[in-house]
Amino acid sequence: MGSKPFLTRRKAFIAAGALGTTAALRRQGLISSAAAAGSELPPYIEIPHLQPFLADPNQIADIKVCIRPFRAAGPRLDVERIGDKTVFHNYGHGGSGWSLSWGSANIVIGKVATTLEKKVAVIGCGIIGLTSALTAQRAGCDVTIYTRDTLPHTRSVRANGSWTPDSRIALTKPAGPAFADLWEQMARFSWATYRGYLGLPGAPIDFSDHYVLSDKPMTTEDIEKKNAGKIGKGDYASTGMPQSSSEFAEYSDRITDIIPQAETIRSGEVPFGVAYGKRQQMMMYNFGAYGHLLLSEFFQAGGKIVNREFHSPEDLKSLPEKVVVNCPGYAAREWWNDKSLIPVRGQTTWLPPRPDLRYGMVYNGSSMLSKSDGIMIQGFDLELGEMAGVGNSFEHPDRSESERAIGVFTELFNRNAVKKG
Amino acid sequence: MIRKSSLLVAGLTFLLSGTAFARATLPPLTAEQADKGEALYGAACAICHGTAMRGNFQTPPLRGTFVARWANVPVSELSDYIQRAMPLMAPGTLSREDTIAITAWLLKANGVPVGKTPLPSDDKLLHSFKFPAIPAGSYKAVIPD
Repeated sequence: MGSKPFLTRRKAFIAAGALGTTAALRRQGLISSAAAAGSELPPYIEIPHLQPFLADPNQIADIKVCIRPFRAAGPRLDVERIGDKTVFHNYGHGGSGWSLSWGSANIVIGKVATTLEKKVAVIGCGIIGLTSALTAQRAGCDVTIYTRDTLPHTRSVRANGSWTPDSRIALTKPAGPAFADLWEQMARFSWATYRGYLGLPGAPIDFSDHYVLSDKPMTTEDIEKKNAGKIGKGDYASTGMPQSSSEFAEYSDRITDIIPQAETIRSGEVPFGVAYGKRQQMMMYNFGAYGHLLLSEFFQAGGKIVNREFHSPEDLKSLPEKVVVNCPGYAAREWWNDKSLIPVRGQTTWLPPRPDLRYGMVYNGSSMLSKSDGIMIQGFDLELGEMAGVGNSFEHPDRSESERAIGVFTELFNRNAVKKG
Repeated sequence: MIRKSSLLVAGLTFLLSGTAFARATLPPLTAEQADKGEALYGAACAICHGTAMRGNFQTPPLRGTFVARWANVPVSELSDYIQRAMPLMAPGTLSREDTIAITAWLLKANGVPVGKTPLPSDDKLLHSFKFPAIPAGSYKAVIPD
C-alpha cells in the first residue's frame, strides 16, 4: 500500500494522451496531490472572462497526423562507426522532441566537439536536426544539413508544440535511472534555451494560460477508475511492446523548481461555468515563426541544406564530412533499419487562428490551445491513456476523431450559453 | 629520467589500452590521483559543473566541448588555470597537489587511461604533455556511451 499514492497519480495522469498533453495535464495538477492540498490562486488574481471560439467541424482548416518516434530505452544518443564516418545519433524522442531538442543537441554536439572536426553533416531537418545543426554552428562547426524534407514538411511540425518534456520519452524500466539524470540535464538546458527565444517578433516561443476544467472534483480516484490504461498481458520486457500506461516514464517532478506549477481556481470563478478548474502558465512553440527563425539563423551562420534522401547507412560514404549527426526521427526505422523505434500516432485538428484568444484548456477528453497558426484541438483517449496510438503508424487523418474532439467544446460552450440565459 | 619513464609508460598505456588517441604521448596519471581528484571535484566543482560534468546553461561542461577547447594545449596551462581561476567563488584556494589531482580526474573523465606513473606536479614536466583530442574515428573506443 505504500506505493499506492504514486500509482494513483500515475494512473490518473494517463487521462491525457496525444502528443504530449499527458505531461501537461500532470503539471497542471490534475493528478498532483501536492497541488490538491494547496496552491489556490491568491485573491489578487482574477480569472479573466474567456471568449469561446466557434467549435464546429465546418471550421476545420487542417488535420495533421504525426508519428512520434518512441524508444523504450529513451532517445538514441550513442556513437557508431560506419566506414570512415563517425555517426552521432540523435533520434527517438517520442512526444518530447520539441521540448528536449536543445538539451539533446547540447549532449550530442558536445561529443562531436571532442573530435575537433569542423565539417559536420546533419541528417534530417526536423526540430532535432535543426537544433543540432545550430548547436554545431555555435560550437564553431561548418554544417551541411542533408535532408529529404525541410521544416514545413517534416513530421516535427505535425506535433502539438508545447512544453511536454516527458511525453512518451521512455519506459521507466528499460531506460533506467541513468537516463532520468540525462533527461533532467536535457530538460533544464532546453528550458533555458527556449526562454532566450521569448519576446521576439511573431512570438516564436510564447507562454499561454492553460486551464484544466472538470465537472467533478479533481481527485485522483475518479480518474483512476476510468484509466487503467492496460491493454495486454505482460509488459515491455515480456512482449517487446509496452502493455500499460504505467510503464511510461515520468520525470517532470525533477524540475518543478523551474516550471510554473498549476494553481486551483476559486469555486465559482472557473471559466465556462465549469465546476472545478486549475490554471497553469505553459510554454508553447509557434511553428511558423519559430521554424522560420531557426532556418534563418542556420542560413545566416553559413549553413547549407542539401536535398537528399538516404536509403542505407552505406550511402554515408559519399559524404565529404567525416562526422555525421543522425537526426531522422521516425525515418530511422526505414533508413537506419532501427526496429527499436515504436510508432505512436497522434493527431491535431486546426481551426482558424484567433490571436485575440490567449488560452488553452483541457476538458472531458479534449484539449485546445490558441496558437499563432490556429486553434489546435486534440482529443485524447480516456481509456487508453499513454497507450493511445502506440504501435499505430497510420499517418492519415481521422476526421471523426477531430469532430469528436471539437464536439466536446461545442457542448461546453452551448451548455454555458444556456446557463447564462 | 622521470620524463622519459613517464613518456614510456604513457606510450605503453596507449598501446595496451587499445584506445586510439592521435598521440602516443598521453599525459600519465594514476587511479589514486584520479580518485582523489574525483572526490575533490565533488566537493569543489560539482556544485557548478554538475555531478555528471556536463555543466548547465550558464556553466561550461567539463566533457565534450571541453575537450575541443583544451585539445593540444599543454596540460600545465589547464592546471594553472584551475589553480588561479577555480573554483569561481574562491579562486586560488586549491593546493598544488589538489589541483594536479583534479587535472588528473579531468583527463580520466575525458578518456585518458590510468597507469602506474602519476601526473607530474612539476610545471615543466606537465608542460610537455598535451591535452589529448579524440579523433572522430576513435570516439567510441575512448568514451563509451
